[in-house]
Amino acid sequence: MLIEDVHKAYGQVRAVDGVSLRVEQGEFFGILGPNGAGKTTLIEMVEGLREPDRGTIAVLGTTPWPRDVALLRRIGVQTQASAFFTRLTAVEHLRTVAELYGLGPDAADRSLAQAGLTEKAGTRVDKLSGGQRQRLAIATALIHRPELIFLDEPTAALDPEVRRTLWDMLRALRGEGRTIIHTTHHLDEAEALCDRVAIMAGGRIVALDSPGNLIRALDAPTRLSVPAGRLSVHKAEAVDGVARAYEEAGEVVMETREPGRALVAVGELTGLDQVRTRTATLEDAYLRLTGSEHTA
Amino acid sequence: MSTYTALAKANYKAYTRDVTTMFFTFAFPLIFLVVFGLIFSGQRVTKGGLPYINYTAPGVLSWGVGNAALFGVAFTMMHWRRDDILRLIWRTPTPLSSVLVSRYAIALGVGLVQAVLFTAVALLPSFGLHLSGGWPTGLPVLLLGVTAFMAVGLVVGSLADTPEAVAAIANCVMIPMAFLSGAFYPITLMPHWLQDVSHVLPLRYFNDGLLNAFSGQGGWGDFGINCGGLVVFTVIFGAIATKTFRWSNGR
Ligand SMILES: Nc1ncnc2c1ncn2[C@@H]1O[C@H](COP(=O)(O)OP(=O)(O)O)[C@@H](O)[C@H]1O
Ligand SMILES: [Mg+2]
Repeated sequence: MLIEDVHKAYGQVRAVDGVSLRVEQGEFFGILGPNGAGKTTLIEMVEGLREPDRGTIAVLGTTPWPRDVALLRRIGVQTQASAFFTRLTAVEHLRTVAELYGLGPDAADRSLAQAGLTEKAGTRVDKLSGGQRQRLAIATALIHRPELIFLDEPTAALDPEVRRTLWDMLRALRGEGRTIIHTTHHLDEAEALCDRVAIMAGGRIVALDSPGNLIRALDAPTRLSVPAGRLSVHKAEAVDGVARAYEEAGEVVMETREPGRALVAVGELTGLDQVRTRTATLEDAYLRLTGSEHTA
Repeated sequence: MSTYTALAKANYKAYTRDVTTMFFTFAFPLIFLVVFGLIFSGQRVTKGGLPYINYTAPGVLSWGVGNAALFGVAFTMMHWRRDDILRLIWRTPTPLSSVLVSRYAIALGVGLVQAVLFTAVALLPSFGLHLSGGWPTGLPVLLLGVTAFMAVGLVVGSLADTPEAVAAIANCVMIPMAFLSGAFYPITLMPHWLQDVSHVLPLRYFNDGLLNAFSGQGGWGDFGINCGGLVVFTVIFGAIATKTFRWSNGR
């Protein structure tokens, strides 16, 4: 998938403002960004639902706009608002979609099982829980075994346990060699799943790299913390290798660029059993890059 | 073809599982039949000497069928677009014609069941409908009437983005038309200029076609005019519908 200098405006709002990126076959690619960053608009242009104002898009070697039926057979899209046929059960909905792709009912049953919804086959779509609806939406997107899969915030509003089940499902898909483009709010998710991530803000890509490189590029200090009673801030500042120390939420926090040395020194003073370490996460990189730098 | 059957099945299940709407679709014309029956019981229209029911029954039936076709199709289109079901269909290799033809099949089926049920009740002795031997000419009229009102429904369903808007627009279209086209009030009793105006309303042709079929009036010329009128409205609103159709809300 190749995107070159794509623009899209809704009236005065520049939803996507000059985005270029290239996603390779078999890649698990994340698009991160706050609400209104333009993620959904970008995906809608790539699937061919909207026409870009400017720029070019090539998906699996063809232009998605206007509607290209041959291309649509090769891509699967899960949208944020899950759409199901009115008043049908989960399995009836999937069988209808299967028929629209010219597939038999076995494709629907397989997709239902893959999403772990076999037990809910006979439940009306309007009676499913939030998590079940989201899984049914993914099952809908995967029914025709697409090579390229778009998932628009598939885990929004899911509880942590269901989210993890979904992660396993997504990892399995990548294992099969499918290309996945995934937008999310959850940074831990991008860190855990994606080969590369693009961070979007205000319709532009502000960073694009592997999660590991984005974190390293931050060059953020490692933080060690111990319960406040164990060590005073004053003593903490004097510890070998510690650059800065402060008290926060009942803990003394020490920032260091030499975590090994500092850890040994702290261990000598307080013992290691109560020491916690925290390194920078994708969240830190994200917050800095999207300009909402409350924590760093 | 299989995309058509898939959508027709989905439409059919959605329709028959909405018991409230289904009940009122079929009960509504019957309620009017009873009301008009009470108002006009035993009276005869001077010309031709047929009982009043022979004027009210085709009027109420044409209006009820047209109303159901317009509302049903407009609601489906608005709803499928608002809930992104049209987008879901758009992503599959389904042609737009399958979406429309499958919904058309449902509208025709509903219209036919309405007509059979309604006529059966009107034929009961207490209502006393007199059905002429020429009644089969009502079948093509029914088919063309459903088609014309479905075309109007497609336009309404594209203009309106909420159920409230569908109801508001559809009522503004259907309620005045009930009186201005002779469906609820005999056309011959209206002022001449209003009789002329009624020719720009599709319900005029639908109602006249059914009236002639029920009572065995009018010749093939009238039959041709009524069918032709409905075809013209179908073409006009069908053309507008193709211009206004949207797969999704938003620009
Ligand atoms: N159909 C639309 N009409 C007008 N403005 C829109 C439409 N869709 C999105 N926008 C605006 O475009 C911007 C990007 O939206 P979106 O692509 O949905 O972002 P995200 O998915 O990252 O939250 C937002 O400011 C949003 O308000
Ligand atoms: Mg979005």
